Amino acid sequence: MAQSVVKPGKRISGESGSSTSARKLALVTKLRDQIAAIEKRHGQAERAGDGQAAEGAAGFRTAPAGILHEVWTDQDRNAGAALGFALGQARALLDRQRPAILWVQLAHEGQETGLPYGPGLRRFGLDPEALVICRVQNVTEFLWAVEEAAGCQAVAAVIGDVVQPGKALDFTASRRFSMRAEAAGISIFMVRYGTGREASAAGLRWRVMPHLSGAAPFDARAPGVPRFEVALEKGEALMGLKQGSGNWILDWTDHGFERDTDGKLDGQPGEGRAAALSGAAFAALGYRLSETA
Amino acid sequence: MRLKAVDARATELGLFEGQSLSDARALCPQLVARQIDEMGLTQLFGQFADWHSYASPIVEVHDDMAPYGDLMIDVTGVSHLFGGEEKMLAHVTGRLTRLGFAVQAGLAGTVGAAWALSHYAPGVIIADEGSPLPWGRGRREAAGEGAFGSEPDARPPHPNPLPQGRGGVDAVPDRQSLADILAPLPVEALRLDPMRVSGLRQMGLKRVGQVLGRDRKPLQARFGDVLMARLDQILGLRTEKLVARLPLPERQVERRFADPIGLLDDVMASVSDLSVQMQALLESEGLGAQTFHLFLYRVDHQLMHLPVNGARAMRDAKHLTRLFANRMERLSGEFDAGFGIEAVRLAVTSVSRLDAEQAGVFEAGDGTADLDRLYDRMASRLGPQAVQRTKYFNSHVPERAVQLEPVIARTLDDALALDLSGVPERPERLLPVPEEIQVMAEVPDGPPLRMVWRKLTYRIARAAGPERIGVEWWQPGEGGLTRDYYKVEDGDGRRFWLYREGLYESETAVPRWFLHGLFS
Repeated sequence: MAQSVVKPGKRISGESGSSTSARKLALVTKLRDQIAAIEKRHGQAERAGDGQAAEGAAGFRTAPAGILHEVWTDQDRNAGAALGFALGQARALLDRQRPAILWVQLAHEGQETGLPYGPGLRRFGLDPEALVICRVQNVTEFLWAVEEAAGCQAVAAVIGDVVQPGKALDFTASRRFSMRAEAAGISIFMVRYGTGREASAAGLRWRVMPHLSGAAPFDARAPGVPRFEVALEKGEALMGLKQGSGNWILDWTDHGFERDTDGKLDGQPGEGRAAALSGAAFAALGYRLSETA
Repeated sequence: MRLKAVDARATELGLFEGQSLSDARALCPQLVARQIDEMGLTQLFGQFADWHSYASPIVEVHDDMAPYGDLMIDVTGVSHLFGGEEKMLAHVTGRLTRLGFAVQAGLAGTVGAAWALSHYAPGVIIADEGSPLPWGRGRREAAGEGAFGSEPDARPPHPNPLPQGRGGVDAVPDRQSLADILAPLPVEALRLDPMRVSGLRQMGLKRVGQVLGRDRKPLQARFGDVLMARLDQILGLRTEKLVARLPLPERQVERRFADPIGLLDDVMASVSDLSVQMQALLESEGLGAQTFHLFLYRVDHQLMHLPVNGARAMRDAKHLTRLFANRMERLSGEFDAGFGIEAVRLAVTSVSRLDAEQAGVFEAGDGTADLDRLYDRMASRLGPQAVQRTKYFNSHVPERAVQLEPVIARTLDDALALDLSGVPERPERLLPVPEEIQVMAEVPDGPPLRMVWRKLTYRIARAAGPERIGVEWWQPGEGGLTRDYYKVEDGDGRRFWLYREGLYESETAVPRWFLHGLFS
């Protein structure tokens, strides 16, 4: 800038037309930057709206792609619920360009929390072909695998399940994950167990606990559709929520997450859409229950 | 305890293989005897043999006669690279001799003859043209026997009827036939066990020629088919093939270094160069390969063999280099260049047609190519068994219905898509091994009321079931019990998949309960 002032006047006058266009260009660039900055926060959240039926339950929406999630649950015996929630979130991100979800787990923890079971994943609308199971030997490999998978343009989501992460999974690691996720537009879900929380760069931190399900249709004694108690502990702003308003009790139905499908939870009328869902199969079982009991 | 191997000085003192240790000590009180590490030696000799793949791709260790094996090299079609058979034999043996190995080698048209020459007439080459046998043309084998020793000539010479010195190479004149050359060798040269050799010697048959000249019928009656087989093999009337220890490359590129290299980075640099060469080679023929092998030849006769598999046929040099970098990382601590690496070879197997692809301008790909590359990278770093996907099988038993198969070894007959619509609910997580639990039920056949799993008690609030899964009696070795599966929910909403093993009273007196899966 200083140099252009020193230059001979003839040249300045000769460039008067182009300098206005340069100013315009600068303005446009500045505006673009502003938009990008806005988009990074709320814009991302809005984009989720035109994906899958996100606004199923009041105030709850599935998160857009490109975010590092932490899905915490208190004990490893709740592993099923944590996986279910992560899968529910990840399903919305699958499309033709991104047909795969990667599951990364320490090999020796497979018995502890179980391996994803193909036929069971159908409930989450997931073709078992789409889920690739990656069993690693140690935490270093775990970190490598998650990061590598998060760099691939064809992966929709990476779910890392780790009971005992050791020291290697620290803030730096989470920062790396989060930058990778943002750069490639892939969501990373770290399924974690316990009540202690460490510093992390995760955009969203969920606490997911199983919740007593609503009754199955036709059989009051059988468990109903999966129900979770979900709390958003970090990242309300990212999801466009007010502080402290991120608490839900959610059912997983064929339409995604919905709140209180049987209408018995807190007196609010349910949408009733879930009634004829995946219940049919185990309702049939329920019938037989009365005969055997 | 017996002597297994003796060196030259011990032989001079009258010790021999198979002698008992106490006898040997009586003869030579200052004898230094060490326990032999046969496993280690066999392995070492195997690596030593592999390293000779620098000369010819088909290398085998015959372990039926010598204690650590005889190294056999198929030199068909490669000897001209060394300037002829004599020069090749001199090169291979000379190189080892200079390094302090005691080497004996022979070269002939059949495995048996080559073995006989290497043991009892080292240095002799039976020229192809001299062989009167129709089969002998074209196939040439060289047998060598390497002994590990710090000093040259550490091994006692075998009874040697021919005057050739070892190390030197003497081509036998063309007109002499295979049988003529073999005739003066002792009968041990027929690769027979000591029992048969001593039997032949008792009959007065001490030379191969004497055995070859006799009527076969009585010999067969006395010594069995083994002798006949050995006679046929040595003359080439019966085919004996070498089985390569290493995968046979379909295409290969290599680089030899004037000065051995030792750093991992240097190795990777040449791997990247070789990958580019390999890509050009495959591209020119419109081919791609699924398996790539990297051979690192160390100066100290060790061979590092690093295979890398791809999910689909490929030839992209950049991708390939990355796979090898990952593979190297996996062995990080084990990488040992020894005294240096003198040659690097990149070879491919399972080659298939791969046409050039053009990426669409308006249509984005479906990402499967990207995915396959990702799987390649992950499998090369984490091991091929670490990256898996679900494959269905037609079975009612839950753990049998699903198997995990490596993504890169994907079977192509995926067409058998199983219809799972009729299958009742299954858990999202399955425990690889069902865990036994203690269960209290209202009635013996009923759903559980309370269970103890991993030392914690759960009160069951809801249960659905049973889903009865019988044994698959048509499967071989199937001897399980009928299972009754329940989906249960405890007071806090955790949902589990349990089963009772065995039908009450008809199959078992006290059925056991297991927890098999976790529902979301």
